[in-house]
Amino acid sequence: MAVTITIPTALRQYADGQARVTLEAETIGALLHGLVETYPDLGRHLFNEQGKLRNFVNVYVGDEDIRYLEGEETKLHDGETVSIIPAIAGGLCGRAYVLA
Amino acid sequence: MAKEFERTGSRLVSNRKAMITFSTTVAQAIATHAEATYPDECVGLLLGRFADTHKLVVAAYPVENRWAGQVTLAETDDPESRRDRFYLDPRDYLRADRAAQAQGLEVIGCYHSHPDHPAHPSARDLVGAQGIGGSTFAFVIQRVDQGTATELTSWLLLDDTSAFEPEEVIVTD
Repeated sequence: MAVTITIPTALRQYADGQARVTLEAETIGALLHGLVETYPDLGRHLFNEQGKLRNFVNVYVGDEDIRYLEGEETKLHDGETVSIIPAIAGGLCGRAYVLA
Repeated sequence: MAKEFERTGSRLVSNRKAMITFSTTVAQAIATHAEATYPDECVGLLLGRFADTHKLVVAAYPVENRWAGQVTLAETDDPESRRDRFYLDPRDYLRADRAAQAQGLEVIGCYHSHPDHPAHPSARDLVGAQGIGGSTFAFVIQRVDQGTATELTSWLLLDDTSAFEPEEVIVTD
């Protein structure tokens, strides 16, 4: 299956500046691992030390979050678009975290 | 050619002089949003263009602060409090990204407000920025004092995501 995966702005610097990449993959897991094989620097931003998707990294097939589908086992269909999307959170507390 | 980053202790420090430019209209839109949600925090995305280390914000894309304890930022998290928390839902990011593409723009940063608090990133901001990665995405903070928007700052996450560094903010007509 040829599937297009979109890469969020901030991570494009680890993917040769590409906004979207088309890869052959049958499942989301295979697609993400294929992406990291192509662009190894993306790996630490997408996966934690246990090899699982990071908490704040979301993957959507069309408009559907893979966490509500079959996760990395979610099957892909030819021509689908997969999006990597960050969740961003924060809020006031304690001391500021800036470069000293 | 100068290296893009140099290591200082355990930190990678950018050698680039980054800056972000807002029109007065966009800066006012962020200020108005932050005042409207006061005393709660507001949140939104910034649509615009990159030009090397310079970013031009073309439009603010306000979204709803959907904080309800979705992620763990600190052990004392209160899922009811949007006065000191924000959550930018990925579905809102997806909508903003599609809106940006339709206009030939990119999502170049995000903004949120700090009600009655300095416009410096907090420990929670650092935890909540970990999904972004990279060192180009702007984290803009609008300070609001007693309901009136005051200071506007912008920050870049270091490549190793250990801290933020400031970038220059320009507001111009």
